[in-house]
Amino acid sequence: MFIARSEYDRGINTFSPEGRLFQVEYSLEAIKLGSTAIGVTTASGTVLGVEKRITSSLLETSSVEKVVEIDQHIGCAMSGLQADARSMIEHARVTSQSHAFNYNEPIKVESCTQAICDLALRFGESASGEEEESIMSRPFGVALLIAGYDEDGPSLYHAEPSGTFYRYDAKAIGSGSEGAQAELQSSYHKSLTLPEAEDLVLKTLKQVMEEKLDANNVQLASVTKEKGFRVYGDEEMKGCVGRIENE
Amino acid sequence: MAALSSYSMPTEQPAFSFQNQPQSHASGGPTQHSFYPYTDNGGSTLGISGSSFTIIAGDTRMTSGYNILTRYAPKLFRIGGEGPEHAGAKIVLSVVGFAADGQALQERLDMVVKMYRYQHGKDMSVHACAQRLSHILYNKRFFPYYVQAILGGIDEEGVGALYSYDPVGSYEREQCRAAGAAASLIMPFLDNQVNLKNQYEPDAPQGLEKPQLQPQPLDRQTVEELVRDAFTSAVERHIEVGDGLQMMVITKDGIEELYSPLKQD
Repeated sequence: MFIARSEYDRGINTFSPEGRLFQVEYSLEAIKLGSTAIGVTTASGTVLGVEKRITSSLLETSSVEKVVEIDQHIGCAMSGLQADARSMIEHARVTSQSHAFNYNEPIKVESCTQAICDLALRFGESASGEEEESIMSRPFGVALLIAGYDEDGPSLYHAEPSGTFYRYDAKAIGSGSEGAQAELQSSYHKSLTLPEAEDLVLKTLKQVMEEKLDANNVQLASVTKEKGFRVYGDEEMKGCVGRIENE
Repeated sequence: MAALSSYSMPTEQPAFSFQNQPQSHASGGPTQHSFYPYTDNGGSTLGISGSSFTIIAGDTRMTSGYNILTRYAPKLFRIGGEGPEHAGAKIVLSVVGFAADGQALQERLDMVVKMYRYQHGKDMSVHACAQRLSHILYNKRFFPYYVQAILGGIDEEGVGALYSYDPVGSYEREQCRAAGAAASLIMPFLDNQVNLKNQYEPDAPQGLEKPQLQPQPLDRQTVEELVRDAFTSAVERHIEVGDGLQMMVITKDGIEELYSPLKQD
């Protein structure tokens, strides 16, 4: 009664008198607990990089999947509740495939991002039932960095649980995002090459990660016109990490 | 398909949707009513694509059996343009067969193309529209739109694009295609004049190995003349074709519409 928040943060779709949706705001907080993910755009493609938190020396590092393919020309990195991301990515994949089926052309990256954000706002008590798919009872606790290459060239989008999305040249999300975004702000320029963007992503991750960065606790991926979306293999990761350590 | 392309005239009475009279039994048994949902409204369409343009044409007569319902019912539609004039459209759909289904199909495709622009922030390519039209037709696989459709536009390389369909959505990109009542009269003419079928190098020595003439890209004026010749000839031989010839020429600059009268007999 006396604490303004507790009155309004239960009803998922209830505005507070100040006009806020607390559950949506809390979901944004959940992302700040997630591991750091970074995306950087260049003229020839977009690079995604994520930190893998290796909580145990017994953990099989390859089973931590935080960069995934949506379509041949679109990939995404996530930060926050990983399980929530699964259903968003499933939705994005279905949308992309259905676009290719209906129109015989790859979907635009913006349209794919829009589809994800449409899903992000389909939560709440009344939403389930009559609709065709079973819908979340709460907002998604995950943010996505969506990288792709379409007729307009390479692009990078940031999608939030609030259902808003923006296009970025370079963007960091997750626990280290504040420091990482500041680093990107000062180091990013339009004429970066793809390898330079890989270096920038790794160096920025290195700065904000608690553990010492090595080839096992980070993962890079890229989207280019020639190769589409591609997650870097072990050898390639070693090469990239070796490159920044030699400098 | 056979029913659409091969010409058959009703033997006893005109082909109306309600032609089936209630059948009653002399003994005062049950009376059977029936309704046939389709009518063949006759007419013919034709499309030819060139290196920088596509021409789609159709006659404007609409028939039902031996009756002419109207002398001006266009079979050509601009797809995806704005307002009543369809301003800015770059795709043309022609439909021949059952006019009501053709109209319904045109409205659906137009809506899909407009929605696509809102959703994706760009104009739909003919290539994408062609695939979508195929799906729209196949979605009614078991109660088909009774139409033969031809879709025309300019592809992403600026080359004329022409797609032809059967009523359930099977489609193909082609150089030229005739559809409708007089398709069997026009198509052989196009095979010979556009694709130069059965034409051989005139100077080659007689024998089995005479080289075929290779089809060359046609210029716009030649194609327009071919279209006019095809229709004036079809009018002479087919009673369901006539009254007016409507042509749409699609270039990178938009759609130009031409109309000229045909014989009304």
